[in-house]
Amino acid sequence: MHETGVVMLDVSKGKDVRVGAVAGAQSRTRLISLCVNGEWHEVAVKPRIMLVEVIRDTIGLTGTKASCESGICGACTVLIEGRPVLACITLAVECDGKQIRTVEGLAEGEKLSVVQEAFLDQGAVQCGFCTPGMLMSATALLERNPKPTRQDINKALEGNLCRCTGYNAIVDAVLQASGQENVKPVMK
Amino acid sequence: MILFDFDYERADTLEQAVALLARLQGDARALAGGTDLLPGMRMENIRPGLLVSLSGIEPEAPQVLADGSIRIDALTRLATLENSELVRRVVPMLAQSAHVVGGNQIRQMGTLGGNLCQEVRCLHLDQKHDYQFVAPCYKRGGTCCYPFPRNAPEVCWSVYMSDIAPALIALNAQVEILGETGTRRIDVEALFTGNGLKPLALSQAELLRAVLIPAAAPGFTWGFHKSTVRGGLEFGMAVLAVALQLAEDGRTCTDARIVVGAVREGPVRPVAAERSLIGKTLDEERMEQAAADTSRVVNPLPHHGFSKRHLMDNIRVHLRRTLARALQRARDQEAGR
Amino acid sequence: MSELNYVGKSVKRKDGPDKVTGKAVYTQDVRLPNTLIGRILRSPHPHARILRIDTSRARALPGVKAVITVEDTKGIKHGFVETPRYPPDQEVLARGKVVHVGEEIAALAAVDQITAQKALGLIDIEWEILPAVFEPEDAMRPGAPEIHPNHPKAPREFANIGGTTETQWGDIEKGFAESDYVREDRFECQLRTHGYLEPHVTLAHWESDKLNVWTSSMGVFVKRAKLAKVLDLPYSSVRIHKTYVGGTFGGKIDLYSHEYCASRLSMITGRPVQITASREEIFSAYRHAQPLILEIKTGVKKDGTLVAQRIRAINNAGAFRGSGVVVIFLAWGFTMIPYRIPNLKYEGFSVYTNHTVRAPQRGHGAPKVRFAIESQMDMIAEALGIDPITIRMRNAREPGEQLPNGDNTHRGGLAACVALAAEKSDFLAKVGRDRASPPKGTLRRGIGIGASAYMGGTLIYPNGSAVIVKMNDDGSAIVLTGAIDIGQGSETVISQIVAEELSIGMDDVKIISSDTDTTPQDIGAWISGMTYVTGNAARQAAGRAREKLLQVASEKMGAEVENLVLKDKMVYHRLNPELKMSYREVIAASVATHRGDTIIGEGFWRTMRDEPTHPSLATTKGRWTENYAFSAQVAEVEVDIETGEARLVKALTVHDCGFPINPQLVKGQVDGQISMALGHAFMEEVLTKDGYTLNPNWLDYRMPTIHNMAISEDADVITEQYRVGQPYRTKEVGEGLISGILAAMGNAVYDATGVRLYSTPFSAEKILAGLRALEYAAKKVRSASKAPA
Repeated sequence: MHETGVVMLDVSKGKDVRVGAVAGAQSRTRLISLCVNGEWHEVAVKPRIMLVEVIRDTIGLTGTKASCESGICGACTVLIEGRPVLACITLAVECDGKQIRTVEGLAEGEKLSVVQEAFLDQGAVQCGFCTPGMLMSATALLERNPKPTRQDINKALEGNLCRCTGYNAIVDAVLQASGQENVKPVMK
Repeated sequence: MILFDFDYERADTLEQAVALLARLQGDARALAGGTDLLPGMRMENIRPGLLVSLSGIEPEAPQVLADGSIRIDALTRLATLENSELVRRVVPMLAQSAHVVGGNQIRQMGTLGGNLCQEVRCLHLDQKHDYQFVAPCYKRGGTCCYPFPRNAPEVCWSVYMSDIAPALIALNAQVEILGETGTRRIDVEALFTGNGLKPLALSQAELLRAVLIPAAAPGFTWGFHKSTVRGGLEFGMAVLAVALQLAEDGRTCTDARIVVGAVREGPVRPVAAERSLIGKTLDEERMEQAAADTSRVVNPLPHHGFSKRHLMDNIRVHLRRTLARALQRARDQEAGR
Repeated sequence: MSELNYVGKSVKRKDGPDKVTGKAVYTQDVRLPNTLIGRILRSPHPHARILRIDTSRARALPGVKAVITVEDTKGIKHGFVETPRYPPDQEVLARGKVVHVGEEIAALAAVDQITAQKALGLIDIEWEILPAVFEPEDAMRPGAPEIHPNHPKAPREFANIGGTTETQWGDIEKGFAESDYVREDRFECQLRTHGYLEPHVTLAHWESDKLNVWTSSMGVFVKRAKLAKVLDLPYSSVRIHKTYVGGTFGGKIDLYSHEYCASRLSMITGRPVQITASREEIFSAYRHAQPLILEIKTGVKKDGTLVAQRIRAINNAGAFRGSGVVVIFLAWGFTMIPYRIPNLKYEGFSVYTNHTVRAPQRGHGAPKVRFAIESQMDMIAEALGIDPITIRMRNAREPGEQLPNGDNTHRGGLAACVALAAEKSDFLAKVGRDRASPPKGTLRRGIGIGASAYMGGTLIYPNGSAVIVKMNDDGSAIVLTGAIDIGQGSETVISQIVAEELSIGMDDVKIISSDTDTTPQDIGAWISGMTYVTGNAARQAAGRAREKLLQVASEKMGAEVENLVLKDKMVYHRLNPELKMSYREVIAASVATHRGDTIIGEGFWRTMRDEPTHPSLATTKGRWTENYAFSAQVAEVEVDIETGEARLVKALTVHDCGFPINPQLVKGQVDGQISMALGHAFMEEVLTKDGYTLNPNWLDYRMPTIHNMAISEDADVITEQYRVGQPYRTKEVGEGLISGILAAMGNAVYDATGVRLYSTPFSAEKILAGLRALEYAAKKVRSASKAPA
């Protein structure tokens, strides 16, 4: 229904290209497929729709949080093909065919991941709004680098703001999850 | 979220992307990592009718060419740059400059080319204009300048804040640019116009294809520093990159390139300060003098709440230290050999 | 019986599993079918008259379902304070004129974001621009642009006064005359914001005769009262539902215009309406903290004993009264609690300016007041040649002291905190070290101390909390509490108390919380009293249920209640363990023999249970609390004397929270406040120009990142105990610990460099300027001494 005036732009085949609909006109809705936490979803989106909107509003996984919505705070961090990225500045159309992991995909059934457990053990969760993004950044770090130094942890989590904890408990949680520095649970 | 509609095409090759951009004549923008473009669109500083996505184009891996220079695809992600064994070994300053960009998620998405082609920044520009600064400024095609009201319409004192550009200029790198008529190659330094209204010397239908960094000669050493308040997740108050060529004695400078970024409309090279080092023994006093001269001639724009005086202080001290660290690095390497 | 199983233990958070799996529902996660998107039209001017508003073009846009302006409201005003002296002063939408950039003028509901955005651009307004004023001392001057008329009780020589607080005791002039040393200083603070991660968001749905609201808040009962009032609805027609809250720090207490607008738009359209504030709106149109100017004159004896203090506080309170008049009242309190001051005169002015309205922020003025006083304390000590610990010990409050307002310090006291902080930090061995013998290089370490005190659960609407504990017939319990968990862990703490009192497991306790229709009234999470007030109500409610369990068991087992013990959902006979009943059996027996009593316990609590009123904001008369929390904090900083760059390396917090119900939750509060304080000290500032916000985002408003962590150690001075069945006293620990450490950082910068900073933030630029001034002064001394006689 949004096709009025829009012509497929196809340069590779050398066709004559018309672009009458571009400036300020309706944009073409696209059907994309993305695999979120192991489930494939087919979603119709306009190009301007961000991945965070699809995850939260269309698929209904609201664990991923929308906070600054301008690519700064990290609350919306999800993993695309294992890489931590900001879903608030990622166009959904760019994720066609991609594997996406959100906070809902960390636990296996009732069993929390070691990172999730460590966050609880260390009191690294207060209001919890940064937590999903923080967990995704930490998970990506440990998958790539199972024994990170404190400096590695800082670099991996510098794009995730937390106003509650002062970060100390969060660093301890990542150290605990990686089995380093003999960090023991402080909450039972 | 972006509150206007645009169309989207994914290019399979850079040539396709250029052809699309050419046809749209200014209404299309190339989308690489999107970490600068999409926030800009959210703020409606830019309202393209079409995004030409480059995400379907797989970047070539960094490679060392026969002459020892290194060629890096412009679509290489910053995270790849900072973590690449090859880049860290052959051009460590580039890896370092990529390592300090934004936060990790930004580096995972952002690309080398995108970082170089980022927009200039200004506190008045970098927000939505729903009820603040509603009348467009010169940069947005309007008739005023909020921070510097007396500026003429052709002057936009915004700040170009790439962390990587200063490193590449210090390294005497070139960019390969793909346009409708083929590729051209220019120095990275020539990519910047020094005009905040149009900071890049690229036409609408040109895209960066690759960055080429010449091989380091024996005696090469470098220093890099990004001044921030928080140590991460922010643009620099000043970015300093230094490349020195030392004679065999390890103290006499035979060539010097100093670049200061994030304080002007483009990266700045204090040529006189560079010359003052060449042929000289690099002692404390000389480095101090070069740093002091640089902080003056760079003439930093007050930006993001930092006064000109403070930026000059910051550049002076950190440049001297960066030069000293470059020298120390050369000594350490000599000692380690 | 003194053995505690849950209370006093670092029990894991009840809400933890939901929060790490993404299941916790925050307001932005609540979805209702057919929801409309609401947006607010905001003022582009700091001060202007609205000559005409025309919404017809917006209304005509397809997809726009409703547009409201002040003409669609009942014209009922609201305010953070609503007393006879300070009647509510703000309408939910601007009437006739706007007084700050971003002020709400109109609101609309549309089918989607894009339509709403377009429609905002179709509202036409004709303006008459008025002169504006932004600095409080400019605004106070007669002849300044009038934002609102002077408060009728304010001195006539001023303008734009929203309120004043004045108090004194002793004889201030005599005090100064008797002092051996007197000094006068002026301190200022920057504009800071709360930085909660979750944006302001409200979803409202009017169904039949009920307004259902989900909103990110700090207390559902305050929200209900204010929202019902401006909508002119009975409280029973407004239901605020429970959601988790993603951080508040003081910034989500007041009624916000968007909450009204979402509600009203839903009432008009009959559809759910959601309004989310963008981060930029929160920065440039919502409420920040209050920058205070403090002028302090202090007189002391040679030994450092305080004799007299005169304080003048000027609050840049923004364009409406907000909590500005509360801050100038509290500023007096933060002066008088920690130290004995025999003669004091205090005057505070809350001044209207064309800035956004102000809200409380963690500490509500205390960080600024303590920064000023504790900085001056060190200056006085140095002038007298005594050390920072001695001067504080000389004046620090002891247990059992009566305060000027009639409160008592009870078992709390500052002296013990200062002494322990000095000892644990090895303060006297470290202080002055780097300046006495500067190390090589450019880094200097410095140490500083600051002290503070904070009250808990002071009376303000709704004053008291009630809790209901319902026993299930298997012996588990449901707790109904109005307490809202904003991250501080109230659900965990309440569960610990109920589990302890009933001798059941943490998993046996399930909490239903913060829902105005299904849970009893609660004070809210914003006056530092939830663990004390709501916690005691929960203790009492569980205790009543326990008494009933024991009573029934006693009848069935034929034993005296005194001989019964509760353990793991069982009642045992103390002397004969074979004689026992499960809770299941007891409750069945209660239903059978007590006319169907399923065993429900009710509890209620209030601070100062027998005090009739809350204190007077104007005269300071009246009591505050029986729970003063004292604290002393030590900062170790590192300063680069070439660049001026400074950072907090290590913080030590010695605090008296009474008794920690959950020590790790307390530690979490301490660490978070250290982080917030170092942001205050070194990084954060909302930059404004002519009332416009220049850095409405987290790139340019520099909140601490993970790189800015400091080592944070803490020690409790335990002054109270928890005993099952007995009232307990816990004290504030969630907002009072920014103050001492902020002051300590200022003092530590001085210790490292000799640069005394009179304003926050301690930016590299200010430190460098200070170092230059010292260098210049030293040069002058040198050249003077070289000059021929």
